[in-house]
Amino acid sequence: MSEQTKMLRVARYRPERAPTPYFDEYEVPYADDTVVLDALNHIKDDIDGSLSFRWSCRMGVCGSCGMMVNGEPRLTCSAFLREFPAQSAIVVEPLQYFPVIRDLVVDMSDFLDKLKEVKPWLIRAEEKAVEAGEYLQTPEEIDVYTQFSGCINCMLCYSACPVVGEDPEFLGPAAIALAYRYNLDSRDEGRGERREVLEQETGIWDCTFVGACTEVCPKDVDPAAAIQRSKVDAAKHGLQALVWPFGGRA
Amino acid sequence: MNGTQGGRSPLYVRPMPRTWWLQTRRYRRFASRELTSVAVAASSVILLALLFALSRGRDAYEGFLGWLDSSGAVVLSAIILAGVLYHTITWLRLTAHIQVVRLGRRVLPRRLVLAGLLALWGGVSAIVAYLHIWL
Repeated sequence: MSEQTKMLRVARYRPERAPTPYFDEYEVPYADDTVVLDALNHIKDDIDGSLSFRWSCRMGVCGSCGMMVNGEPRLTCSAFLREFPAQSAIVVEPLQYFPVIRDLVVDMSDFLDKLKEVKPWLIRAEEKAVEAGEYLQTPEEIDVYTQFSGCINCMLCYSACPVVGEDPEFLGPAAIALAYRYNLDSRDEGRGERREVLEQETGIWDCTFVGACTEVCPKDVDPAAAIQRSKVDAAKHGLQALVWPFGGRA
Repeated sequence: MNGTQGGRSPLYVRPMPRTWWLQTRRYRRFASRELTSVAVAASSVILLALLFALSRGRDAYEGFLGWLDSSGAVVLSAIILAGVLYHTITWLRLTAHIQVVRLGRRVLPRRLVLAGLLALWGGVSAIVAYLHIWL
């Protein structure tokens, strides 16, 4: 039986050769279990060693191999070649709305800064001594935030969000979902500190609820819900402060 | 468009096309939802115009009702109704997405929350229709 092949149209950006990106086409062999990342590795190993892209675990855990596949933000380790129509080439591009460093590699430094900005760790008003033991939680308290703790920082949500494209300063879906995850944690007391970041002009209110972030999330984190619920929390807090300006929940 | 990268090779920043909202099905769906809010605004304007006509006396009110009966106004009303229905249903779907209803440790499925919201909307609309048509 002859080997099945598929054409990949891969975006290249090599600033030393051309000031703007262009496409190269590669014909790759594939089987039922071949994913786009396998095809890219085949290109790099056997056809064109100059192709640059990020990857690591190959099992949808590390979040490194996110790219645009036929215009859709996908983890290339879980995008099977068999999914795509046989007749047309599969177009692979770097994640949109991110600056491109080279070929399929994007600059994620701005994203990492945004993650740090929301203080994604447990904040306590007063730390207790290690000897005092752990901060305990009931299963019900864990249930409240578990869904929002599954983020693998793959940045697909940023690449799906047109608000990120329109306003690169927007804090963005993953960072807000992460802030929400810690705000929901019964051990955390940092809601007040995160509020300043979340409620700034480029925070939660920038989101127009396109909902694309949730649809592309490979871990079902649902950043869109996290953002809208953060808006509800912010509105409630604003109203409480108006009606009862003498304090209350931080 | 190129940016710098601290003395290293320049970064390439892809321009955001003005027609981004036509690019994917999700973006088109979002644009439709936002666009149909114009229909909601239009229905409010018609209601306000009706009240304004009422405040100006019987002749003005009946004149306005006459305009509402014209074929152009009927076509406009049908378009507005379609837009309002689409906007309301998508809006309630989003509300069901945001609203968490917990029963003990269980979270009520979104479909049930949406069904409840739709039933509430249908019920209120039926009461308004009853008051308008039969009273």
